[in-house]
Amino acid sequence: MNKYTRKWLFRVLVLAVLALLPQVIQARYFLHLVVMAGIFTILTLSWNLLAGYTGLLNLGHAAFYGIGAYTSSLLAMLLGISPWIGLFAGGLTAAFFGFLLGFPALRLSGPYLAITTIGFAEILRMVAINWVDLTRGSLGLSGIPLLTPIRLGALNIKFYFERDYYYVVLAAVLVTLFCVRRLTQSEFGVSLQALRDDELGAQSVGINTARYKIAVFTISAFFAGFAGALFAHYIRLVSPEMMALHTTFDTLTMAMIGGLGTMAGPILGAVVITFLSEWLRYVEDLFKVDIRLVIYGLMLILTILFMREGIAGLLRELANKLESSRLGRKKESEP
Amino acid sequence: MTEILRVEGLAKMFGGLCAVSDVSFNLNHKEIVGLIGPNGAGKTTLINLISGAIQPTRGRILFNGRDISKAKAHEVNNLGIARTFQVVRIFGKLTVLENVLAGLVDRRSKGPWHLAKDAIFGPAGALVEDREACRRAEELLEFVGISRYRKELAENLPYALTKRLEIARAMATAPKLLLLDEPSSGLNPAELMGQIALINEINRRDVSILIIEHVMKVIMDISHRLIVLDYGEKIAEGVPKEVCSNPKVIDAYLGGGANAAH
Amino acid sequence: MESLFLQQTLNGLIVGSVYSLIAIGLTMVFGVMKISNFAHGDYAMVGAYVAVFVLAWIPGWLGWVGSVIAAAAAVGLLGIITERIVFRPLMTRWTDIDTIMVSIGLFILLENLAQLFFGATPRMLEDPFSGRVVDLGVVSTSMLRILCFGFSAVTIVLLQIFLNRTRVGVAIQATSQNRFAAQLMGININFVYTITFAVGAALAGIGGVLYGTLFAVYPLMGAMPTLKAFVVTILGGMGNIRGAIFGGFILGVAEVLGGNYIAMEFKNAIGFFIIILVLLVKPTGLFGQKEGT
Repeated sequence: MNKYTRKWLFRVLVLAVLALLPQVIQARYFLHLVVMAGIFTILTLSWNLLAGYTGLLNLGHAAFYGIGAYTSSLLAMLLGISPWIGLFAGGLTAAFFGFLLGFPALRLSGPYLAITTIGFAEILRMVAINWVDLTRGSLGLSGIPLLTPIRLGALNIKFYFERDYYYVVLAAVLVTLFCVRRLTQSEFGVSLQALRDDELGAQSVGINTARYKIAVFTISAFFAGFAGALFAHYIRLVSPEMMALHTTFDTLTMAMIGGLGTMAGPILGAVVITFLSEWLRYVEDLFKVDIRLVIYGLMLILTILFMREGIAGLLRELANKLESSRLGRKKESEP
Repeated sequence: MTEILRVEGLAKMFGGLCAVSDVSFNLNHKEIVGLIGPNGAGKTTLINLISGAIQPTRGRILFNGRDISKAKAHEVNNLGIARTFQVVRIFGKLTVLENVLAGLVDRRSKGPWHLAKDAIFGPAGALVEDREACRRAEELLEFVGISRYRKELAENLPYALTKRLEIARAMATAPKLLLLDEPSSGLNPAELMGQIALINEINRRDVSILIIEHVMKVIMDISHRLIVLDYGEKIAEGVPKEVCSNPKVIDAYLGGGANAAH
Repeated sequence: MESLFLQQTLNGLIVGSVYSLIAIGLTMVFGVMKISNFAHGDYAMVGAYVAVFVLAWIPGWLGWVGSVIAAAAAVGLLGIITERIVFRPLMTRWTDIDTIMVSIGLFILLENLAQLFFGATPRMLEDPFSGRVVDLGVVSTSMLRILCFGFSAVTIVLLQIFLNRTRVGVAIQATSQNRFAAQLMGININFVYTITFAVGAALAGIGGVLYGTLFAVYPLMGAMPTLKAFVVTILGGMGNIRGAIFGGFILGVAEVLGGNYIAMEFKNAIGFFIIILVLLVKPTGLFGQKEGT
């Protein structure tokens, strides 16, 4: 069996497992966690596109998340627009803001970029808090419509249970993965990474770094907005807190721990953190201590100091070691 | 001999400091012109001006008759001028092969949005699986002699080889004019021979070259003409033998730098 | 109306002086080590809690002064510890993203440790003057605020003396300007790093006590001072101490005036507005210079 077939067999297997998961584990709470992990995966993948592949530290990423959520919710609640369209409208609106944010990013780097992006998110968050007529301020929007049922001939697919949203989010994650993977492995992706590694060097081979930065901000924002809209129609409650700094910090932690600049990293990070979160919540209740975020902080520091490539990097090293020891043994067994 | 590059009255001020002052020269098709002068004479600044990395304070730069004085770095490259850097600027976290692939991308007709669209909606396949692109990249790596490192991360390459990688990457952009900034610094005598051969071979492939060099052995050997800068001004120009016996040139070097006699 | 304007300006200057103090610490660390420490505001928070405990032990203005000194010492020590353990290892393989992210991790860690140990309820630092107000003709302010301003001013002056008149201080300035040359001159770089971090943290600690005096003390209070310190640092130019001093006052006054004459709710966002506008025009800050390669 060659590498190619092995790769595809692996993928089909994973897909099958994922498709059958809700039939096997029917616990609603578990499925809820998986849905949340999925939404965070999309958010983290989008942030990783900026930070890991292009080297742009966007600490205001949560703003795109919130914009997508609010846009979709308001369209549904005020104009009766179908949430399915809202998902994309949310993404596109966020993309527009991403486009705008790309411009200051052109000339800024490091802490200057970090602060500008934080400022951007904070200003939007305050707009959300204070434009009470539109956003209901700190209370946020509640009672957001669920994803509307889809009619396929005689079939009427309703979206109400966690299991239903599981399949939607699964599809969304797969599509996002597909897009991000295609982007990063293409000429576009190699150009982004060139920009990240050396901006002047990139310009010297004809890369218009300004347009690339704006493009990647726009694309990244789209996915973040889409994730936000998904959240809105699932949890059915959005608030200005979605755009808070600590939401971006959560995303950042997931990306870092999973492995920056890799495809598997954001998935691993989102899943690990989401489930770890729940387990820690349980522990917290048990011992009455607030240690969840303390652990995050510690994990982030330790990851950067000792495990820079994150969990994905660790797994890759493991795979390499296994591969080289396998080759070693093969050599030894040859006469 | 057709003229490919013309620099007219070029000047660059950094605040009160005049880095380049009233420099004019031209470069003809298939010529190798050496740019020499003591440290701080403005050679790299001149290259930065021509390549679009910085904008001139005064003067004009014409490439194939077209005014590129205000063009930005990426525009200049798309027009057919490539460059290397004095302190190598390779893409560290990409493999050697990917570094060259980055240079091969056709940016004259495809901006980021076009490429992004192609990536998602175009045919399947990662860039590294593109047979044609990889073949051309391999060719270039072979040309500079670093094929066996194709899968190494560029940042793991020994210094001398990174300089060659930069040349391969620059060649990938299919330039008509190549600006080399001290490509031989840090090379041992054996490597220098290879360097001279490489540059000559590039020239043979129809690429004109403007090269800054301190290693006299290289520059005397390969240059058709020399231009000498001192304190931002052109003080001499001509065939290598002529230039080296020019008293103004000797003065400039003995007065400040040390690399003259070889 | 006019005296209201002057009154507000005075308030702004007083708050601004605290911002300056905290920002100086941040800009020093950036100037010398090129580290952007997002946990800087948490040093202020720790300082504020030190004051809470010292004041519980020794009330009155004696306790207050004591708490400032204790905060400087304790947070200075914290600074040394974090420098050694968290930041020093990154100096060799340092990229912007790494140091900013690790400082974010430190930020999350510190503020939640504080929440763990001290609880989320805000505490107030007792006013040693019991609210006495001082009339300065056109304007008036509380004795406490004058004390805060006085302390900021004195600390800043002491810092200038330290930086200009002591060997260590001059070494710090030299390293800030040219790390490589400083090493060649025989300056012990690692020592300079540690001292700079300690002083920077101590300044934040003192600033924290003052901040806590003016506002309230709670575990999550570090976020605002961090962001404001960054705004001030960028306004003044990263690494530029004089710029940080001016920047702090500018921000303080802008916030108060903006809050009163434009919109109170956006008071905290004013700094960001200013910063974004400034950076659009000058990507390296108002008084900043381009960093050397």
